[in-house]
Amino acid sequence: MDKITLKVTRSDGRRTSYDVRYRKGMTVLDALTEVREKQDSTLGYRHSCRMGICGSCGMTIEGLPKLACQTQVSSLNTDSINLEPLHNMEVIKDLVVDILPFFELHRSVKPFLIRNDIRERDHSDREYRVLTAEVEKFLQFDYCIVCGLCYAACPTAALDPLYTGPQAITQAYRYMADPRDEGWEKRINILDTSHGVWRCHMAGACSFVCPKDVDPAKAVQLARMEVLKRRILRRRGREGSKPVSPPVAGSTKEGVKAPPFDFGGATR
Amino acid sequence: MKRNQRFRSGLVPSLNPLGFNLERWSYVVHRVTGVILVGYLMAHIFETFQLGGGATAWANTMSALHSLGPLEMIGLWIVAGSALYHGGNGIRLTMNEVFGMFMGKPILPVYPYSPTSLGRNQKIAVWTVTALVLVLWVWAGLYLLAGLGVI
Repeated sequence: MDKITLKVTRSDGRRTSYDVRYRKGMTVLDALTEVREKQDSTLGYRHSCRMGICGSCGMTIEGLPKLACQTQVSSLNTDSINLEPLHNMEVIKDLVVDILPFFELHRSVKPFLIRNDIRERDHSDREYRVLTAEVEKFLQFDYCIVCGLCYAACPTAALDPLYTGPQAITQAYRYMADPRDEGWEKRINILDTSHGVWRCHMAGACSFVCPKDVDPAKAVQLARMEVLKRRILRRRGREGSKPVSPPVAGSTKEGVKAPPFDFGGATR
Repeated sequence: MKRNQRFRSGLVPSLNPLGFNLERWSYVVHRVTGVILVGYLMAHIFETFQLGGGATAWANTMSALHSLGPLEMIGLWIVAGSALYHGGNGIRLTMNEVFGMFMGKPILPVYPYSPTSLGRNQKIAVWTVTALVLVLWVWAGLYLLAGLGVI
């Protein structure tokens, strides 16, 4: 393969073809960069880190949502590559989509640790102990880079713009499974709606396209089981709030003030 | 491309499983068979509604259906297949969604990635459902064709 052709769907709906000289190890992002530098400076696409960490260069490559920086041209087994913007999102320009509504969904599930004690939150002098077994319950879901590929692949998101989406549900579950978190009740109320966990039909496309093996399909089912448990407990007259581990002192003795954090001499 | 419109969103893209995983194909078949069953249910309600018109109206409805010839049985065969797949796959999905079966536990991702929710157990479940449905569907076909006097 000496030459590849990129067929890019542009903002106006037309498809523009660009011929690029292939070189070994070339990624789709490399090819797009070459096009913009040497052929068409008006071509719009988004990228940043070029190593699958920032999640900016998500686009539809040969019909599947992928990160352009992680997609080797040789892995596509074709010399004519179709590129489109991510599905289920509005197009700003060419391959650049408006990712803000997707980020809003992410924000809606409060993807951060919630502690009820404001004094403890603002003047924390203790650390929270989390056992390895507890970390394993949510660590996989913590690897999410918020690239939006799962949302673009989700057939439910294609039908329901109000659907919370696999990414946001995964993040909700990530914090629900965290023993330090006290926001379980708030998040579960967001998930237990007709546009929440019940909307998922387990097509598994989200997990299939996830570039970090976050496995959103698994997280959605786990979140759904939590919601179901709460419904059953409520029916039996018991609240379904989960026990939360309190912050512990640095010492093994409860109530002993922990020493100040040691950053190893680093300044902040 | 129109502004303020999500790109390739809606019914048709949601039913396109090309290039995707086995479960996404299963999702599409589940949707399509569901629509077929709803269509059949409507037709069935209309059919039984004719009973209210008395014996003559019922006989007329039956003769109209029988006049379709083999299409009637082929239609029923498709409905039987739809019911089998929708039911069988529904059981698998319930196992997934209510009991978390075939999903695996949260793991530490190790490259090359292979999501456990779409792993071996899930594949076995999907193919088991498909195989059982096919066997029963063939059996239903033979039964219906025997009714037609073909075999």
